[in-house]
Amino acid sequence: MKEFAVFWGCTIQARFPFLEKSVRVVLKGMNLPFRDMDGFTCCPEKSLVNNIDHGLWLLTAARNISLVDKEAVDLVSPCTGCVSNLATAKGEILSNPRKEGEINSLLKEVGREFKGTSRLYHLVPFFHDEVGIQKIKQSIKRDFSGMRFAVHYGCHMMRPSHSLKNDDPLEPKKFDNLIRALGGESVEYSTKLMCCGQGLDRVDQHDRALQMARVKLRELKNTGVDAMALCCPSCFLQFDNNQHLMEKEGERFNVPVLYLTDLMGLAMGYTPQALGLDGHRVDTEPFLKKWKEISSRPSAAAAFSEGMKKEGSFI
Amino acid sequence: MFDIHLDFDLLEKCNRCGACYDICPSCLNIDGYDPRAVIKDILNGNAGRWLTSVHIYQCLECHHCLEICYQNYGFENAMTAMRLRAARQGIHPPQVRRGWDMFVKTSRLGEPSLAARKKLGLPEPRESGKEEFLKLLEVYRMRRHGPSPCLRER
Repeated sequence: MKEFAVFWGCTIQARFPFLEKSVRVVLKGMNLPFRDMDGFTCCPEKSLVNNIDHGLWLLTAARNISLVDKEAVDLVSPCTGCVSNLATAKGEILSNPRKEGEINSLLKEVGREFKGTSRLYHLVPFFHDEVGIQKIKQSIKRDFSGMRFAVHYGCHMMRPSHSLKNDDPLEPKKFDNLIRALGGESVEYSTKLMCCGQGLDRVDQHDRALQMARVKLRELKNTGVDAMALCCPSCFLQFDNNQHLMEKEGERFNVPVLYLTDLMGLAMGYTPQALGLDGHRVDTEPFLKKWKEISSRPSAAAAFSEGMKKEGSFI
Repeated sequence: MFDIHLDFDLLEKCNRCGACYDICPSCLNIDGYDPRAVIKDILNGNAGRWLTSVHIYQCLECHHCLEICYQNYGFENAMTAMRLRAARQGIHPPQVRRGWDMFVKTSRLGEPSLAARKKLGLPEPRESGKEEFLKLLEVYRMRRHGPSPCLRER
């Protein structure tokens, strides 16, 4: 596998370092050729930067991409927003030679060159397509048989599809496939592809952001899932932190929120502490307790055989 | 070159369609949110009345409208253009302004939490590209607008 640089993004490193921990543990545990790189800045974020200066948004993204272009490594990020921003800017620049020329003439002033040759991946399609389901299955020590998950994709994992081209933008499958590879059930639910709504928090509309989070959490409470599975720090902020805020106000949904790498790490045999699960605001203990209980039960086939033996059928 | 331009022919069709209303999370969950009302005013030359409205920030940029649009356009283009126009006039939600200020000063939207990293056993964070970014920003501003006030003073 080609070496790749991890683009952590601002949100994970500033607010959720325990998610970085979880990603590092899994990448290392699977012996994947990752490295950290000096020189990255904000991707930059769309709603705060692109909405004020589109040119600077493009230029900053192009500079970040030029760093991996120069090292001839691919880029993988555990943040959907970062990958979507970088890929969208890359697509816009590559589709317009005049714009590419202008960007490169600016980058030349700081000794950089945008080529757009490195591949940009989000962690989910990266695990699905590059690492592969088979290798993931082989790395599991204890799977999630009997556990029900609500996958929340996060809009920017696969949209805009003209730039990301990594899954069906309106009927994605790869995250569900990873959950199944880990032995879990990916539950279908009607608001599965609905945006988390965290963007409203970034424009001073906190109450509306909570209103948006409630829609999905209410459905999941009624559906009865063991956890929500996601892989985006912004969605994590919305469903973990904001759910916790609502819990403090007496509104309980009881939906633990787990990052893809939390689940992979647990299945690979790492402890919740090693993965930084104690940093989550919504209690993950009920999830872990049920998983432990289910895992300690004999499988249906073993229980059946045992029962038959007791009844003397095989004697 | 670096501006966002609206295609009024596509917006005309957008204004008569509305297929994305059934998939747009804000249309489905925020009372009164109606992107076609904004588009109609853009087409009629009355866009200015929306610049101070929360409406244009309620588009979540989820790209659902873009994906389902038979023109591959989506009304998010209109909302982005409106937010840029508002920004040119110095109109932003305060949090957007704070985020922007932090970005142009530090190149990031938050610094790594060193104490938390140490506790978790994470390695030292890598150097950010702040210095190079600030130089690039100055070059960019010079090209677009001429010397910035602080540079002119120098």
